[in-house]
Amino acid sequence: MLIEQSAYANRWRKASPAAKAFFALCGFVAAFAAPVPQIAAAIAAGLAIVTVAGAGVPAGRYLRVAAPALLFLAISCLSLAFSLNLSNEGGGLSMQWAPTEAGRIAQVGTRSLAALAALLFLVLTTPLIDLIALLRRLRVPEVLLELMVLCYRMLFVFSEAMRDTLTAQSARLGYASSRLALRSLGLMAANLTLQIWQRAHGLHVAALARNNDGPLRFIEPTYASARRDMVLAALGGGALIAISWAFS
Amino acid sequence: MNLLELEDVRFRYPDGSVGLNGCSLSITRGSRNALLGVNGSGKTTLFQHTNGLLRPQSGQLRYAGVPIDYSRSGLRELRSRVGIVFQNPDRQLFSASVQEDVSFGPFNLGLGKEIVRERVASALQAVGMEKFADKAVHNLSFGQKKRVCIAGVLAMEPELLVLDEPMAGLDVIAQHEFMAVLDDLHARGITLLLATHDIDFAYAWADRIHLMSAGQCAASIDARSLADGGEILTDVGLPLPAVLELERKLRSCGLFSREVSPRSHRELLSLLDESNTFEKEVS
Repeated sequence: MLIEQSAYANRWRKASPAAKAFFALCGFVAAFAAPVPQIAAAIAAGLAIVTVAGAGVPAGRYLRVAAPALLFLAISCLSLAFSLNLSNEGGGLSMQWAPTEAGRIAQVGTRSLAALAALLFLVLTTPLIDLIALLRRLRVPEVLLELMVLCYRMLFVFSEAMRDTLTAQSARLGYASSRLALRSLGLMAANLTLQIWQRAHGLHVAALARNNDGPLRFIEPTYASARRDMVLAALGGGALIAISWAFS
Repeated sequence: MNLLELEDVRFRYPDGSVGLNGCSLSITRGSRNALLGVNGSGKTTLFQHTNGLLRPQSGQLRYAGVPIDYSRSGLRELRSRVGIVFQNPDRQLFSASVQEDVSFGPFNLGLGKEIVRERVASALQAVGMEKFADKAVHNLSFGQKKRVCIAGVLAMEPELLVLDEPMAGLDVIAQHEFMAVLDDLHARGITLLLATHDIDFAYAWADRIHLMSAGQCAASIDARSLADGGEILTDVGLPLPAVLELERKLRSCGLFSREVSPRSHRELLSLLDESNTFEKEVS
């Protein structure tokens, strides 16, 4: 939901998604091309600043969205920093600090950080509906897009249904003890399964009523300043790649 | 001229429950029709018959005087003329963006991109949702979702618009706004058929009232004729419109003597105001 909020309420909401995706792609290229950790870190910082200062995504929200990925990255880096050895004498396992790996860890860590910043730039400034429309223009197979559209829509329908069920159960002491909570959760899962089936049928009937007999086709949104956005994205993205390339 | 006719239509669901049990009714072109009935009386089943989502097990449906053709092309033709708006918007809206969802029906009619774009814009304007074109469906209120549902059907430019309990779940303001949308659609020449539990709304709005009971159309009456009778409503377990009860009481007390019968609370109040002013002027 945090990602959704930002995607709809940022300054660049109306900018062309193609331009934003291109800039993010340049960010990825720059991240992977960065020769030293300092440059990769600088690119990550640059992308984060563009997202927060440029698109107007609140810094606190940015960090909250990034936190799970950062935690995962930190754990991955730690696992690279230590190596497990099987001791020949005692036959036991021992953990060893691998100082020689420090440079490589810094390299991988900062590159991942820059790639994460590029991805966050895209998802925090572009609603998924715009991204799906962009993928449609890029000729991604229809069946994949239809699945994405339906899954995305259903995500909200079911989160609402789940919230309602949860509230109704809590109001009747459904979660008063751990045993009751387990039972209530089971009932909710069973109920939602039935609802999925019913709603899938309902959607099928609604589609039939609107004369659908095959693929789901939708209109493509238009953007007033798409060309200007693309030029700006190309300049910005080019600058990122140039920085990365200049120090290699 | 009758646009849609049902003649002794019967339909039973696979679980054995009766949907329609010899239902006959007709909808006149350009009219406003309210379908009244208690829960389970067969309103939704009837609606699903109107554009061929369900096929009668016996009996016949005619559209513009011609029996409905249930072939693929026949259904395509029928569904482009009869649009259904379902009761729960979340079961009808399946695209994440407003304009994408509205464009779904016109694309299914095989229209080109430019015409679809025009139709989407005009349908959204007709329901007062043009500012929400690029909003996500899940960020809309219940009433707004209902409007988008109507726009999705309007964009197909139907002759007959069928709405399943459109007022359910709407607050009073949204109901008034919705009535304005319905009046506008009627002014465009669209025939309207809607299901409702609200006898006061049906009396105020409809030209014809169809009463459903146990899978049958118990009666089809001219809404104005209720002023002279109304027993037919009590026969199917429905109350009289509140404004009609009040009017009768006022007449019996000698407080209201106008020939015309008000159809809504607001109309009654303005007639009473007029009467008071007239009496003051005379005295």
